[in-house]
Amino acid sequence: MKMKQLCYAASILAAVLSLSAAELKTNEVKHSCCQPMDASLKGLPEKSVYQLETVWTNDQNQAMQLSALKGRPQIVVMFFASCQYTCPIIVHQLKQLEEALPLGVRTNVGFTLASFDSKRDTPAALKDFRAQHTLPQLNWTLLNGDADGVADLAAVLGVKFKQGAQGQFAHSNVITLLNAQGEIVYQQIGLNPENQELVPRIEKLETH
Amino acid sequence: MKARVTVMLWLFALAGETLGAPAGPANMVLVPAGIYHPLFESRTAPAGIKVSSFYLDALPVTVGDYLEFVLANPQWQRSRVKRIFADEAYLQNWEGDLKPGTTELADAPVTQVSWFAARAYAQWKGKRLPTIAEWERAAAASPTRPDGENDPAFRRQILEWYATPSFPLVSVEQGKPNFWGIRDLHGMVWEWVLDFNAALLGDDTQAGGQNSRGLFCGGASQGARDVDDYPAFMRTGFRSSLKADYCVHNLGFRCAKDL
Repeated sequence: MKMKQLCYAASILAAVLSLSAAELKTNEVKHSCCQPMDASLKGLPEKSVYQLETVWTNDQNQAMQLSALKGRPQIVVMFFASCQYTCPIIVHQLKQLEEALPLGVRTNVGFTLASFDSKRDTPAALKDFRAQHTLPQLNWTLLNGDADGVADLAAVLGVKFKQGAQGQFAHSNVITLLNAQGEIVYQQIGLNPENQELVPRIEKLETH
Repeated sequence: MKARVTVMLWLFALAGETLGAPAGPANMVLVPAGIYHPLFESRTAPAGIKVSSFYLDALPVTVGDYLEFVLANPQWQRSRVKRIFADEAYLQNWEGDLKPGTTELADAPVTQVSWFAARAYAQWKGKRLPTIAEWERAAAASPTRPDGENDPAFRRQILEWYATPSFPLVSVEQGKPNFWGIRDLHGMVWEWVLDFNAALLGDDTQAGGQNSRGLFCGGASQGARDVDDYPAFMRTGFRSSLKADYCVHNLGFRCAKDL
């Protein structure tokens, strides 16, 4: 009788153990929301955009987190490569901006284009885009992310976007200047070629 | 023999039918596929937006539910959350990291949570936030019909709620279940949606600066699907005013899930 009870208890224990083992297993597959902090994020300000831990892929097919962009001012824009309307204008404006920067500053400013279009803007498509627009390898980063990553980045940058029925994206045009730590320093909202704010803002960051 | 098996299978199928939809995730309700008509219909796709069937929480996420979440995910506790993911108002209605306010009922909807927080909660649950189209599709149903948005009496009821202060927050499950069996979509708190930042973006508005066309001033109803659908105007306006880190005292959420 006692033996039987013992067996019974043992089998319950085994069941509990296997259950917790199963729980442990599911816990191992954590979502990005619940992962332990990446070491590279340590010391970043709380309001840094680089707190986002999503993994992106650049047009060289390398996986990277946004925190890899830290260390120098970055101009960040969300776009999509097949955009016929504002994106080419924005890219053109960014190139003009780059040219307007004093040489010493120019080489130390990064330009990052992050695509809304997870499906079509593959690393290869982004590579083509880079070639088409002759974007220098040195300081221009082109990124493809998954839908969650795109949503996260749009959310922190305050970019409105929506995918249309034909796969195109309606989006607000926002040019964001991040400092070396990834904090938003300035945003230019809308296409405004008259806006001359960005150059002095970048220069100011550089001299600090 | 073969005939008998067929009959039995048929009977099983029939039983399944009468027992209702196949059992979905606990406390979630199946919303069948349908069409959502955005307030501002796209000129290129005026037929509305197809919404695939999906599961939606029958109730908003409660304070008690959220407490479990912050216990399991300390980085979402009030004192530890990163400012970029939630503004200063995050859970300020609580007394401490693990202590909801004393006036707050455990089964009241959780509020003062950001979009990032709501999303992280949903991921932790293996779910996601509903899209605008999904939320509106589910919320269009009145207690008696799936297309309650066309019922003036139902609209009036919703408007009355919009005009009534909802504090202090009461327990969820107060309202009548709607046609699909979902409660408290109206009459309790506003709710986060996944694509809140798509509100007011038309399908064909790629020219920057044009996006808020028609929201403000007298042009508000220009191009709208139904100028009498005030609740839809209010929700659209509310969503478009949000930012992902905002924590608002009457804004909570519920989760959705794919089939």
